[in-house]
Amino acid sequence: MATRAIPKNTKKRKAVVVEEDVPAESSFPQDVGLELGSEDEGGADAEGEESDDGEVDEFPEIDARSDSEGPVSDSEDEEDEEDEEEEDEEEDLSDDDEIHIFPKAKTIVSDITGQPKRVYPDIEPDYDSDSSTEDAPNRVGNVPMHWYDDLPHVGYDINGKKVLRPARGDELDKFLETVEDPDSWTTAFDKKAQSDKPLSPEELDLIRRLQEGENPDAAYDPYEPTIEWFTGKGKEEVMPLSGAPEPKRRWIPSKWEKQKVMKIVRAIRQGRIVPNKPKSEKPQFYSVWNDEPSTHPAPLPAPKPRLPTHAESYNPPEEYLPTEQERKDWEETDKEDRERDFLPQKYSALRLVPAYNQFIQERFSRQLDLYLAPRIQRKKLQIDPNSLIPKLPSPSSLKPFPVYKSLSVPHQKGRVRTVSVSPDGGWVASGDESGVCSLWEVLVGREVKRWKFDGKIGAVEWCPRTDVSFFVVGVEDQLHFVVPPNLPTIVLTATLATLCPATLPPQPATPSPVKWTSVAAASYSTDKPVLSVALPPSSGVPKQLTWHRRGDYLATVSGGEGQGGVWIHQISRRHSQAPFQKVKGVVQLVLFHPTRPHFFVATQRYIRIYNLAEQKLLKTLLSGIKWISSMDVHPMGDHLIVGGYDRKLCWFDLELSDKPYKVIRYHTRAIRSLHFHQTYPLFASSSDDGAIQIFHARVYNDLMTDPLIVPLKILRGHEVKEGLGVLSVKWCPRQPWLVSGGADGQVSVWCS
Amino acid sequence: MPELSHPVVFTTTTPYPLPSQKFMIPASWKRYQLSQLVNKSLSLLKPVPFEFLVRGEILRTTLGEWCSEKGIGEEETLEIEYFESVMPPQKMSSLPHEEWVSAVTCQVPGYFLTAAYDGQIRVFDYSQKLVQTIPIHDAPATSLTVVGQASTDSDSFLIASASHDLTARITRTTLAEDGSGKPSAQTLASLHLHTAPIASIASTSSGSHLLTASWDNLIGVWDTIIPAADEVPVEDGPERKKRRKNADDNASKPKRKAPLSVLKSHTARVSKAIFAPASNSRAYSAGFDSTVRTWDVENAVCTDTITASSKPFLDIAVSHSGDFVLAASSDRTVTQYDVRSPTSSTSTAALSTATFLHPATPSCIALSPASSSTNSQQFITGAYDGVVRLWDARSARTAVTSFKVWEGQSHGRKVLSVDWAGGVAAVGGEGGVDVWKIGSAQVQN
Repeated sequence: MATRAIPKNTKKRKAVVVEEDVPAESSFPQDVGLELGSEDEGGADAEGEESDDGEVDEFPEIDARSDSEGPVSDSEDEEDEEDEEEEDEEEDLSDDDEIHIFPKAKTIVSDITGQPKRVYPDIEPDYDSDSSTEDAPNRVGNVPMHWYDDLPHVGYDINGKKVLRPARGDELDKFLETVEDPDSWTTAFDKKAQSDKPLSPEELDLIRRLQEGENPDAAYDPYEPTIEWFTGKGKEEVMPLSGAPEPKRRWIPSKWEKQKVMKIVRAIRQGRIVPNKPKSEKPQFYSVWNDEPSTHPAPLPAPKPRLPTHAESYNPPEEYLPTEQERKDWEETDKEDRERDFLPQKYSALRLVPAYNQFIQERFSRQLDLYLAPRIQRKKLQIDPNSLIPKLPSPSSLKPFPVYKSLSVPHQKGRVRTVSVSPDGGWVASGDESGVCSLWEVLVGREVKRWKFDGKIGAVEWCPRTDVSFFVVGVEDQLHFVVPPNLPTIVLTATLATLCPATLPPQPATPSPVKWTSVAAASYSTDKPVLSVALPPSSGVPKQLTWHRRGDYLATVSGGEGQGGVWIHQISRRHSQAPFQKVKGVVQLVLFHPTRPHFFVATQRYIRIYNLAEQKLLKTLLSGIKWISSMDVHPMGDHLIVGGYDRKLCWFDLELSDKPYKVIRYHTRAIRSLHFHQTYPLFASSSDDGAIQIFHARVYNDLMTDPLIVPLKILRGHEVKEGLGVLSVKWCPRQPWLVSGGADGQVSVWCS
Repeated sequence: MPELSHPVVFTTTTPYPLPSQKFMIPASWKRYQLSQLVNKSLSLLKPVPFEFLVRGEILRTTLGEWCSEKGIGEEETLEIEYFESVMPPQKMSSLPHEEWVSAVTCQVPGYFLTAAYDGQIRVFDYSQKLVQTIPIHDAPATSLTVVGQASTDSDSFLIASASHDLTARITRTTLAEDGSGKPSAQTLASLHLHTAPIASIASTSSGSHLLTASWDNLIGVWDTIIPAADEVPVEDGPERKKRRKNADDNASKPKRKAPLSVLKSHTARVSKAIFAPASNSRAYSAGFDSTVRTWDVENAVCTDTITASSKPFLDIAVSHSGDFVLAASSDRTVTQYDVRSPTSSTSTAALSTATFLHPATPSCIALSPASSSTNSQQFITGAYDGVVRLWDARSARTAVTSFKVWEGQSHGRKVLSVDWAGGVAAVGGEGGVDVWKIGSAQVQN
């Protein structure tokens, strides 16, 4: 303020000094030199200041007009303009006299403050001023007029009389009126009176002003002269706040300005700025629709912010205030998890509300939004992990199932490839790779008899018939039918009659490459196989033997090439046949359906079901297993389990689909063997990881209910040798006991 | 805080009675302190360890803990019975066998009889000398019993053996006492009924009747009268059998004997059938169908059935009083059943009065030989882990003592048979036969 006051002061002083001789305009830089001189003088003569003070005293005398002229007195032109304006204003005022809607205001100088003020004329209490006599007959008030739409009147006058609806012409009349009556465009429909009323000049002026975007008040002057309160003539600061000499920068040309100017000059020279650049010519009239319509979607409107609720009030009702417990919970929960980011608080007055304490934080996150930085959001799964676990019955409620190793029988050398339990559940035949097949009691584990064969034993299987007792041992290219010792006479006779009948059945017409040789029934011995079936040479070790449930048919799968290595042998006819002329892929396993004449054939990836009676393919199951290793069918025949070397176990519901109903992958190594229990709802899987897994598998007769599969127990105890674990598992019929043969040469019995 | 004490009255049936007065026993005392108290107060020259029985339960914890567990107040007077405790079993000898021993018996005083899987019955005397080897069966012998009470004064006695060859045989064995002659044996009769291996054979104490239990779900009842001629014709078997028949067609050929009656009720293999003590008409049997059945042998009817859930029973023994039956099952338990009342009135759970848990399959049970009141509650069980455990029926929680047989041998150690007589327990199994001294010193005398 002081620095600004000084030049004015000097100016004024200069004006005082120079006024008489130099009435012409003076430019600022010229003044500067004088100013300096005067400044120096200023310090010397205090008298001059005194005289100045005298002038200041006269200040109240100065009227608004002279005041406003003060600053502009420097320039003659401006004064002229001012004058013109003044005249305009005069004219305006005179114009306003007729059409002004408001009472005309007068500007007078107040006696008290000396300030100009606007004074409105007094209201003369004549008849015109009394609105009660005005013709405003309808006193219905501010009600929706459509209430009267169906009535003959439009309201009531002051006396309660009905004001009848004035007659209105039809549309044609209206139109004619607009044509004929030159004033019709200045009429408007008066709702109250339900009739057209001509607009007054004031109203028209008001409309015009609104149209032009002016202030509707005609008396309002947007260009009122400035009132200099603290500056201008006679208001110079007598005592400057600082006596410091004027800094040099005040009067030397500004370097930065020069640089800026030079920049522009350079730009002009280089042609970057063209002084009189021709404006881009846009035709005044053009086809709006010529341009291609924009393909961009219209910008989405911003979502409406939620309206604040009671809880957000500074003075919410009591019921919105949190209790102590709620407050504690709110403070304990994480920021992201809170339902709302504030706690309702009560202030008795708005002025007691403190500043928003989250202000900085909120601004910061807004900045992050602008910066396209996502606010940190912690991903939190609101899922109870327990709810993901399927509801399964507890294993203890599904007893009995094998839980411990009761005993184990060692095979001296060689892995135990295969075990088989006799149909009465009393005996186990186990075969190992060194060609030793041993027969032992399940319960005691005492080996009763041992047979030595040449070559590996690939499979051992008891005949499922109960009236005879023998088992088949599959060794290299051979099947040996062995009769266990200590059989009752009836059974022994029946067995021998089955295996080596006195009269051989007639040879089939077509000679088979499979040779059946048997010893005479009279000279039989338990030490030697009673019947031997020689498979075609180089057919390899039979990988699998499987009996039809009636015990007459026996299917073998050999590892060697040719005809898929599958043979079906019929004991009663002593005849073997290859069921498949040509099989796609190498047959891994075969199985007889327990009840129907169906035959399962598993190749490396697929399981095909053939109907043996009709000689056709029924179904192909897609297991999704890369290499099938084992397979077993449920005793009811509607379900099939398939295990693979890729650790997967697939449960097929044969009625349901070609795809597995369930894929179980619990083993860490390849699955080697699977077996369903014949009577208990159990199945077991063994794997190269040395573990046997016991599952409860309940199958319902009701087709709607899915089978229930519950993992029950992992039996560990077999050692993994050379990457091979438990190679074969078989259930004991009638008891929930499991017999398992492992690569470590042990055959174990697991009891419940 | 003063130490709590409990009023106690001591009773005993041993020859070490305390004056019948009330003792105040500190609650923190255990068996050892009580035993010392008895020894001190009687001023016994040689300390005798005692076991203490509080309300039919052997004291294993402190007296105070026992009381708080049972919720017995401090004021209540406890009656504590004491008896000499079992000395730790000591191995006396071992009788090596080439084959597994399926049955062992000490019923003949001074001798051990063993049945092995090679079908032979061996007789050992107490000096571990093999006295006699009797080849009775071609197939593994599974069970062995001495028919009747073998008395010391006579050298000869009947033995009955069962085998996998579907027969049981009665053999008269004559032992040569004091080296006067060669021991001899003659198979008198073969019992023909079963069509599956016979699991066990048992005789009455009088030796008049035999019971065979077989895998074919049947129990045969036999008398021990040797018939003059074959009662069962020789089946028309294959040639081999006929040839053998012709070969030993002489007077010494065993007579083929038919059963008196057949007990049919079991639905699975019968593991063992035994007679009730001192009775010819009552028998108990247990089988793989998880039932313990009580039989009226004379009428060949099953009078009572206790059905357990999924407990295939492997062995059964009946207490001396005939009130309780102990049954070993393949679910690693030995369960005591009350057979006094018929099961129709009570549930099976109520009948199983105690369950003795084993870490391995218990295969055999032998009751304490003494029918005196002190040790009659004790029994030993042999298990497949090669450990023989001595239990007291009054404390089912832990075994009283246990010992491992065939220590340090490489083969398996399955115990298949135990027998206990006169302070000596014979344990037969995979490693042959071990003989252990067991039981209190008193009994051993």
